[in-house]
Amino acid sequence: MEIEKGKTFKCLRDKREVPQVVKDQLKEFNRIKKGMLDALKETDQTIDQLTQKLNMPKPEVVYYLMSLIKYGFVQTGEVDDMDEYFTYKLKK
Amino acid sequence: MMSGQSKNISFDALVVGGGIAGGEAALNLASTGFKVLLVEKELSIGGKMIMLSKVFPTLDCAACITTPKVSEISRHPNITIYTGSEVGNINKIAENNFEATIIRKPRYVVIEDCTACQLCEQACPVSVPDQYQYNLVGRKAAFIPFSIASPKAAAIDIDNCILCGACEKVCPTNCIDFTQETEEIQISVKTVILATGFKLFDPLLMPRYGFGLFKNVITSMQMERELAPTRPFNTVLRPGDGKVPDKIAYVLCTGSRDASIGNPICSQICCMYSIKQSQLLMGALPMADVTIYYLNIRSFGKGFEEFYQQAKGMGVNFVKGKIGKIRETENGNGNLILRYEDINEGIVKEAEHDMVILSVGVLPNQDASGFFPKEELKLDPYKFIYQADSLISPARTSIDGVFVAGTASGPMDIPDSILSAGSASAEAISYLIQE
Ligand SMILES: Cc1cc2nc3c(=O)[nH]c(=O)nc-3n(C[C@H](O)[C@H](O)[C@H](O)COP(=O)(O)OP(=O)(O)OC[C@H]3O[C@@H](n4cnc5c(N)ncnc54)[C@H](O)[C@@H]3O)c2cc1C
Ligand code: SF4
Ligand code: SF4
Repeated sequence: MEIEKGKTFKCLRDKREVPQVVKDQLKEFNRIKKGMLDALKETDQTIDQLTQKLNMPKPEVVYYLMSLIKYGFVQTGEVDDMDEYFTYKLKK
Repeated sequence: MMSGQSKNISFDALVVGGGIAGGEAALNLASTGFKVLLVEKELSIGGKMIMLSKVFPTLDCAACITTPKVSEISRHPNITIYTGSEVGNINKIAENNFEATIIRKPRYVVIEDCTACQLCEQACPVSVPDQYQYNLVGRKAAFIPFSIASPKAAAIDIDNCILCGACEKVCPTNCIDFTQETEEIQISVKTVILATGFKLFDPLLMPRYGFGLFKNVITSMQMERELAPTRPFNTVLRPGDGKVPDKIAYVLCTGSRDASIGNPICSQICCMYSIKQSQLLMGALPMADVTIYYLNIRSFGKGFEEFYQQAKGMGVNFVKGKIGKIRETENGNGNLILRYEDINEGIVKEAEHDMVILSVGVLPNQDASGFFPKEELKLDPYKFIYQADSLISPARTSIDGVFVAGTASGPMDIPDSILSAGSASAEAISYLIQE
């Protein structure tokens, strides 16, 4: 069978099942991403505010927020008067 | 999946490990006219050095030194590089005659056709921890390992891929290829250089330091990333709550000089890289206090003692203290209490810091001991590759024609790894021309 360039993923789909844990991780990431972006749509947020809003552990908020910055959805805003915590905002 | 495809190719030398030692050894051989196959198990060559911020004692930018070297290695006409590849086995048939099996895992991207445009990364919906940022941030399943990777080409993390095809749809050069399979390649070579480097001590093995449990306790390699220009965050931050730290502690000899965790020897680099990082932190966070808890400062190399004195002059606080336990404060602010024996005063004290860096030690990478089914590649008592004649001929191993370069033979810094690679390539060349 001729394998069409640009669609080779289909050929691996026949041979390989995507593990449930990988599908679950994607669902979890999408849920957190949506929660964070929705919260940031309302107003700029600190990590503390996001933690309370999303009811998530702080280290997870840091990890996912920094990932969303890396992926180009979020950007770092101002630091507070004590030079300790930043606010974060949607990347326009 | 194994394609069963089997090529038979000849080279003069096989270099295993594409860190600074393997890369330097390969370059020396190639520049002398020998054909080299460089086998690297990661997706990029450069080893640990390419991940560093700056280097002691000169504070030169690590990327600025590594990038030209790595591109010279990649472009050299006498060097063939297989990344994402490992050695299956190496058999010595006779002097100057080795046969080896190399396992090339599929990258699912045709390296030569990838322009590193990152469109696949943007399209990929999956996010998993980025191993090249030591899990401080995520990366996609379609990803370029890091910005100064060599080759700078995407790869597909098939274990985390959901096979949605989004990456393939957007790839402008059609270089993503999910039909790639593992290849087993038979090669013949005349000499072998082992440059498989070192492993880092896993601080989870010392639960009393709280790594993994307390998120503001990180490793020195994670701090290297936080200080590098290609860092995971916009500045140095605590992974526990995103705070800019201002009272930072280093715990030297984590996993070194400690027989109770099976590593009684000194790692030789941790004192100096911690002093380096402390200086960089003072530069990045001018208001921060940095304290280094140490047993002895081993500043034995050229310019090292001056570098240590320079850190003291900048205000880094050195405390001769043995850390017993690290715990989090009870008020939930994420700060850490270090309980330690003040060695000079002989009393137990406690100190509060808001971030702790564990200066993790150097452990042997024992991969090479499994390469030779028919010969014995001896290891030394600490499981580094045994140097058959460490004084006169330091690159010789227990197998004639097989040489060792860099930290595969024991802990050492970058200049010593380069010197060791020089010695390994010189000995390999003299073995080759005795043919
Ligand atoms: C936190 C930290 C900071 C440091 N800072 C400094 C500094 O400022 N200055 C300095 O001089 N030194 C510094 N060092 C030390 C420096 O990193 C080492 O000296 C140097 O990386 C050693 O190079 P190497 O090539 O021997 O090993 P590595 O860098 O470990 O490279 C080994 C290579 O072999 C590959 N490999 C391993 N096993 C296999 C296999 N089975 N098949 C194929 N490939 C394999 C690995 O993937 C890797 O690419 C630091 C180290 C650490 C941990
Ligand atoms: S096929 Fe895999 S790598 Fe490509 S976009 Fe989908 S999940 Fe990502
Ligand atoms: S694989 Fe394609 S889309 Fe991804 S970086 Fe390479 S050329 Fe760009």
